[in-house]
Amino acid sequence: MSAVKFTRKQFESFVSALIQSGRPVMAPQAKNGRYAFGPLAAAEEFRLDYDVTILPPKKYLLPQTETLLTYQVGGACSSVRDAEPMILLGVHPYDMVAINQMDELFRQDQYDKHYMDRRCRTTIIALDVVTPSENVFAASMGTATVKSGYDILLTVLPDGSILADAATDKGQELLDPAESTPAAEADLKARKTVWDKNEKALNKHVLECKPSYLPKLLENAYDHPVWEEKARLCYSCGSCNQVCPTCYCFDVQDQVSWDLKTGERKRCWDGCLLENFATVAGNHNFRKDRAARYRHRLYRKGKYVPGKIGGQIACVGCGRCITACTAKIANPVEVYNRLMEDTELG
Amino acid sequence: MTKPRVAIFDFACCEGCQLQIVNLEEEILDLIGAVDVVEWREAMSEQSHEYDIAIIEGSITRPEDEKRLQIIRSRAKLLIALGACATIGGVNKLKNNFDLKEVRQCVYGKDADMPHLNTAMTKAVDEVVQVDAYIHGCPIDRKEFGLVIRALLLGKKPPIPDYPVCVECKAKENVCRYEYGEICLGPIIRAGCGARCPSNGFRCFGCRGYVDNPNVEAAREVMDKYGLTVEDLKQKMVLFGSKQEHTL
Amino acid sequence: MCECCNGHKDIYLPEMATITKRRMLNGTELYLHLEMDSGKDLDYRPGQFVEVSIAGIGEAPISISSSPTQKGLELVVRNIGSLTKAIHKLQAGDKLGVRGPYGSTYPIEQAKGKDLVFICGGIGLVPQRSFIRYALDNRRDYGNITILIGTKCYTMRLFREEIALWQERKDMTVLETVDEAHDCWDGNVGVVTTLIPKIESDLPKSLISICGPPIMYKFVLMALAEADVPENNIFVNLERRMKCGVGKCGHCQINDKYVCQDGPVFRYSDLALVPEAI
Repeated sequence: MSAVKFTRKQFESFVSALIQSGRPVMAPQAKNGRYAFGPLAAAEEFRLDYDVTILPPKKYLLPQTETLLTYQVGGACSSVRDAEPMILLGVHPYDMVAINQMDELFRQDQYDKHYMDRRCRTTIIALDVVTPSENVFAASMGTATVKSGYDILLTVLPDGSILADAATDKGQELLDPAESTPAAEADLKARKTVWDKNEKALNKHVLECKPSYLPKLLENAYDHPVWEEKARLCYSCGSCNQVCPTCYCFDVQDQVSWDLKTGERKRCWDGCLLENFATVAGNHNFRKDRAARYRHRLYRKGKYVPGKIGGQIACVGCGRCITACTAKIANPVEVYNRLMEDTELG
Repeated sequence: MTKPRVAIFDFACCEGCQLQIVNLEEEILDLIGAVDVVEWREAMSEQSHEYDIAIIEGSITRPEDEKRLQIIRSRAKLLIALGACATIGGVNKLKNNFDLKEVRQCVYGKDADMPHLNTAMTKAVDEVVQVDAYIHGCPIDRKEFGLVIRALLLGKKPPIPDYPVCVECKAKENVCRYEYGEICLGPIIRAGCGARCPSNGFRCFGCRGYVDNPNVEAAREVMDKYGLTVEDLKQKMVLFGSKQEHTL
Repeated sequence: MCECCNGHKDIYLPEMATITKRRMLNGTELYLHLEMDSGKDLDYRPGQFVEVSIAGIGEAPISISSSPTQKGLELVVRNIGSLTKAIHKLQAGDKLGVRGPYGSTYPIEQAKGKDLVFICGGIGLVPQRSFIRYALDNRRDYGNITILIGTKCYTMRLFREEIALWQERKDMTVLETVDEAHDCWDGNVGVVTTLIPKIESDLPKSLISICGPPIMYKFVLMALAEADVPENNIFVNLERRMKCGVGKCGHCQINDKYVCQDGPVFRYSDLALVPEAI
């Protein structure tokens, strides 16, 4: 495995070669003054300087709607496996951390072949952040840089050249044919300065504790007034769930074709903030209060999911929920800091 | 298995939702394959008093319409409200904000008192008879129409979302209309349209009606956060939200 | 095909099973006896559940009511939604999809040598019947067996013939009550907690299993606390929306527990820090 350096021009050729390789390349592009991951048609559409995308790249690994099974109505089902090889280009570190967590969650206990098959066929080219977004707090969450999960890590160096560091054979094979120069010691040092800078800059909201303290913090915060205070304004619209790179809850529904004879069992994104997320048949809703649903999300991020993945905090500090929340109540840092204050006072 | 007989009726409306069914194009053949359409004024000349499923378009605006609807209900095993006029009363409910006499005067001028121009407060279909399924929207969404009809044919509860439009709007990666300083009704309006309006550069007008439990109380403070007022919001809610349960 | 996924089965793919017997237990509850089309019995333990489906209609978690000591799989399905309505229309010979078994089990090993007390409210009898039948089929392994059954009204009583047979047995005690008095009912009237003082076993030393509607737990648990029953001797069986059954979809979560994996059977003392549970 080796690191190479691209000039801007060489980098464009590298991206063009990826596009021409036949696999779809999904990369951040401008959309209505924001950025969104989409199929890349031309190298120059890829925005190395994007701040954050509206939705995280999870939409390619856990699609908004995905067919799990096909069937004869009332009869037997067969498993659908439609994953195709794909390249995710320009994944920011916080999103890479989120994907690493999802990998673990879908792999552990009961192996989710639908997710894992897609994941295994995906090549990920990560990219260190060039422009911090308005609400990013990745530095607070320890996700401003990332050390694993990607096949290649790209870093735009202060001189404008691009360092590409292969971490897997899959990544190395993509770099090998591209025109580049081997990275020198100085380039790696320059990358370190980018990392150091990002560790400070990606912190528009500052969490007052180490993220590893959150599970402990939440142990005694269950009945804190903050849940009610915030959730009072909650529309239960699930925007915070939708845009979250670590939210992976889903619903499953059967659909049938017009002949009413064949159909598909589909899974689609769901969100724990939505009114009927915990409603069972017969209409009993086990989490009917807005505040209880609001609290559940922040407990999931700070305590419950960490319990399943070795303590890793399931908020990666992308700040998307802060931007997406119409009522402006979703900021996890505000809530956690508020709990910190009161714990210290208590 | 004999195919269920379907009759489509219209009341006060623009008939645009029926047009959406016509616009199913190739899929309309699938629909006709799945059901026997026995009455549909907009698309065929036959009529029938015998049907299993009645699809009602339009709102109820005259006393005689109530009687007609009740007769349809008594004949149908299943009654579906089609489109905003039928499901929530739709734009026609704007009338309910005014004195009926003034309304007639304004619309018909000197003929206002003619007996055939009699009018009453607008009602949604379920304010007159029991409704078994709703297909929301102004106009309806063709894809959702298919999903609801097929679910009903299989004896299933139709998959009508009970969550707000924001869910689908975020999924489409739209920039929130509030970030443009606009008032959008998306956070309190039932999804299912695929966030059609916000995806095409408009705010949500609220044509699908409120979610079951909209947080209207939050509105005042949330509007403040955007430098807007509840009055601004109320104004936006008049078009489809007049005289409804959750109206501010 | 991706290599790392080879060898893993699709956790969402149901197997087919055939309905071999069906009968209505009351106006809303349908009893089903199923056999797997594979010819092999499911390898389950009392307390577990399966995901039952009709392709095109949907899938839902259903408690297993039979004991692994018997052949086939017994379920009781309440007519309450689209899927269960469709299941009620099925006849013997018709097919269902089955995934599982999933979830935790009753402490059949740990309970050996102990007196067993089952407290059942309404369809709460259904999953507990699995443990009851297992204990009866391994009768010498367990001490006294006491079953308290509370039903809202006389007409909704489940497994009447079987309960009558249990009541005739000398090696167990079955006490029944209905919430509402009825002309055809000359037994106890009142909620299930009114039967608790009639238990003859040494309660604090017994293993107690509870299942019933959400509202019932609070009152039964209060009565047991008054009787000095330690919380680690109490097992509850919780209902939630176990949509996927495999700990992924998030719907059945109660605080940090997944009912589909950590439950549905919980030792009550393990729920001390799980405020959403009861």
